[in-house]
Amino acid sequence: MLILTRRPGESLYLGEHIKLKVLSIQGKQIKLGLEVPEDMTVYREEVYLKIKEQNSQALEASQQDLLAAASLWQEEAKNS
Amino acid sequence: MAGRSKKLVIRTKLGEREIARDSILYFPHGLIGLDDKREFVLIQVRENSPFLLLQCVTDPGLGLLVADPYPFLPDYNVKLEAPEKKLLQVESIRQIAVLVTVTIPKDRPEATTLNLSGPIILNTKARLGLQAPQVDAKLPTHFRLNEAQRPSKPAPAPE
Repeated sequence: MLILTRRPGESLYLGEHIKLKVLSIQGKQIKLGLEVPEDMTVYREEVYLKIKEQNSQALEASQQDLLAAASLWQEEAKNS
Repeated sequence: MAGRSKKLVIRTKLGEREIARDSILYFPHGLIGLDDKREFVLIQVRENSPFLLLQCVTDPGLGLLVADPYPFLPDYNVKLEAPEKKLLQVESIRQIAVLVTVTIPKDRPEATTLNLSGPIILNTKARLGLQAPQVDAKLPTHFRLNEAQRPSKPAPAPE
């Protein structure tokens, strides 16, 4: 991992189109400003990993469990 | 398109299904963790079911279980950033449909949850889709279906 030291107000360029600026430091929190191309997505790591995990769980459902869940919640729909 | 059938038979997790070519949804960025998959269709698991399969057209093994969250959570609110709206070519809120992924713990269908932090947003007119992570700290990451009120209506049939 590349390690660099920056002060508030200083920036980094990742390639030509991505700028990462340290805006401020307050206690344990560091506020970052990002300038990225419009079509580039930026994710917070924990959110990204959680959704990735949930996507793989949504993929893994067996056909049997899928049909069982469908029956279960279909009945709910009918009862209402 | 000349010489191309309007229908297409694809293999899915639920067996072979015939789909309309113009029902294919294009995901310019794929899905999170599946960013090289672009073309999906929505397949109904069974009639009147709130669950749908978001099936990759080119990969039979790749079908995600999704659901319309609104019969269960009428107040579920999704925030889209400007670049996301642009990517989806949103002109009007009426073009937008929201789905969430569903987790069924193995052999425990009664413990099914809706995942609220990574909704899949569709522009039903332009037939575009993307997954839009939500960072609202107040939003629970998942919601157990058996804690829901009874659904008020079944999910709409896929077009």
